[in-house]
Amino acid sequence: MALLQISEPGKSTMPHEHRYAVGIDLGTTNSLVASVISGTASILEQKNKERLLPSVVNYSSTNTLVGSEAKELQINNPHNTISSVKRLIGKNLSDIDTKYYSLDLKGDDSVIEIQTDQGVKNPVEVSSDILKKLKETAEESLGNELYGAVITVPAYFDDAQRQATKDSAKLAGINVLRLINEPTAAAVAYGLDQNKAGNFVIFDLGGGTFDVSILNLSKGIFEVQATHGDANLGGDDYDQIIFKWLCKNNEINISDAKIKQQLFSLSRDIKEALTNKTSVKINEKINEKIHIQCELSQKEFEIITKDLTKKTVDSTRQALHDAGLSVSEIQGVVMVGGSTRMPCIQSAVKDFFKQPLLNNLNPDEVVALGAAQQANILAGNTNDSLLLLDVTPLSLGIETMGDIVERIIPRNSTLPVSMGQAFTTYKDGQTAMIIHVVQGERDLVKDCRSLAQFTLKGIPPLVAGAAKILVTFQVDADGLLSVSAKELSTGIQSAIEVKPSYGLSDEKIKKMLEDSFNLANEDKESRALSEVKIEGLQLLEMIENAIKEDPDLLKDTELTLLQKNLSELKKSLESSNRDHIEELTKQLNESSQSFAAKRMDRSIHKALTGKSINSLEF
Amino acid sequence: MQFNIDLNRLQKSYRIIQAEIHPDKFVSANQLEKEQSLIKSTEVNDAYQTLKDPIKRAKYLIKINLESEKNDSTLPPEFLIQQMEWEEHLESISEQLKELEQFKLLIDGEYQKAMSGLEILCDKDKNWNHAMEILNKIQFIDKLNFKITNQINLIEIK
Repeated sequence: MALLQISEPGKSTMPHEHRYAVGIDLGTTNSLVASVISGTASILEQKNKERLLPSVVNYSSTNTLVGSEAKELQINNPHNTISSVKRLIGKNLSDIDTKYYSLDLKGDDSVIEIQTDQGVKNPVEVSSDILKKLKETAEESLGNELYGAVITVPAYFDDAQRQATKDSAKLAGINVLRLINEPTAAAVAYGLDQNKAGNFVIFDLGGGTFDVSILNLSKGIFEVQATHGDANLGGDDYDQIIFKWLCKNNEINISDAKIKQQLFSLSRDIKEALTNKTSVKINEKINEKIHIQCELSQKEFEIITKDLTKKTVDSTRQALHDAGLSVSEIQGVVMVGGSTRMPCIQSAVKDFFKQPLLNNLNPDEVVALGAAQQANILAGNTNDSLLLLDVTPLSLGIETMGDIVERIIPRNSTLPVSMGQAFTTYKDGQTAMIIHVVQGERDLVKDCRSLAQFTLKGIPPLVAGAAKILVTFQVDADGLLSVSAKELSTGIQSAIEVKPSYGLSDEKIKKMLEDSFNLANEDKESRALSEVKIEGLQLLEMIENAIKEDPDLLKDTELTLLQKNLSELKKSLESSNRDHIEELTKQLNESSQSFAAKRMDRSIHKALTGKSINSLEF
Repeated sequence: MQFNIDLNRLQKSYRIIQAEIHPDKFVSANQLEKEQSLIKSTEVNDAYQTLKDPIKRAKYLIKINLESEKNDSTLPPEFLIQQMEWEEHLESISEQLKELEQFKLLIDGEYQKAMSGLEILCDKDKNWNHAMEILNKIQFIDKLNFKITNQINLIEIK
């Protein structure tokens, strides 16, 4: 909860001062932070003048290092140095190939744990340390406390990975304005910068993830038509192919973590050298026994990695098909992510779309720049209108009899989206029910990604089949799922207990958050009280203003009830009774629901008539 | 409301409304407005998806106009025979790109023809029972078209 920038009572409708908002590209290999300064989005440099922060964290028993300092320790201190943590977030051990990590990885079914000299770390904590560093960089270079951030995630991230990313930000003390998809952010930077219109493809190959999105751009509107990708495919995989090739060609077998790390770095260097050289000679003495001598040509590199490249082209074809478009209807192809520098990728994409590629914005920076522009708009710093309409990358479904998935929300649905599904009981007097939610395109539960088990409780005991429970699945603008349920015959709201399949439980996150503040009990209490007061006050002011603006939307009885709730809340705000303030805020919130809905309808009507659309009869 | 609508205007209205109520416009608002924006924005997306797609739009129109809920999708026997013939044809040419593309043209034509029929039934005749029947036909044709396109894609990937 942000405690910043709250204006005094009665002044909330005044134009506010500048809110310091940033865009963060939390990458597999490198991370960046950017902000709009005097109207232009710029990357914020770190103290050492670097623009890219290597996404590497080193945990020694006494110290936590982030960025290039940590990266330098990668080879000599591999067990304590964590890189590519983005590949571990929202996953469990069985999801990953541990032999490619020089880390001591443990954990259970739902989360990965990394043993370091500083103790056990989970991927959320590691990401949060990277985010803290970026926040520090931003606050130092902006000279102000941050209001909030837009954080980018791969479009193809599933719910668990998105939730874990948001949790990391919370843990770093960042107010998340929105999670947006990386290709969409790139489109924003590109579209706003070049003022383009039409159908555009964003081809985004990063260090560890691949996304392709098809967007329709027109004057400040960015509508995603379809997205596809692979959350486990990136430049790292090309490094690994070279790594395997090196081992095979030089007949080496390694188990030593340090040597493994050295060879990984060497592989990456070879890949990067092949960007502008047709061939690279390698002559590297690793130790007394291992001396690597060989040559890799661009042509051969293209051949040994062709399966990876084909995957990206197949995804692109699928996205185009889902968008209902053909190659000839595409006005531009934007290349994003450092890995798109590889000549084999450039030529594969060029051949597929039969047109030159758009490379004029730095592929490493374009995502952060777009996120910064969106952050500036969300924070309300500009009157530029920008509407981002993004989609769900993967279908959401539930498990039904016989291990079959029933699809509830199809992929590529525009966000926010919700779908209701009715269930009934199959036993007399049944009062609870379990719903297993999965994400993916396959028909069998075991082939999809398990998201969570929802246990519905408090179903009124009726004969079998008599209770009708409407379960609503809502995916919000961050792409995050929430589930609610209601028994229709009695109108009873059922309680829902969520057990996420991956990632940390709500309680664990809450505890980590509390630990991180490290405050004394009385501090915690006063902090909590001021949060509750601010929320109550905001609501109170908003309703008072609303009554002034739209009195005709309220019936006398409604007005009387609202005024009663308002004066009760106002009185309680002078006290220090947290529970009471919370209760009255909740009451006012509930009694003003229909008023708020009517006001929203009125604003829709105004917008439509204002824009000279003569009638509303659709 | 009509079946035949101006899709350009639909898109324009949709964008104007979302620009007003999308959750992005309420990032710094209080909980009440955030919730309302989420609810409305979700509804508007649902409405737009329903109206944009001719099959969903027809389904919706028929649903609000047809008195009885019963939907016994009776298709005339000659169409059932036609269905079987098409399915068999698709099977026999499933590996031949040229034939598939030709077949797709034929099915596209059938789709267009049925859609024009549906438009008259909805907007002029207001014959909802008959409209239901044509809609069932269209849904079959649409699925068949999807299968053909998939097959063409499979061959192209190879």
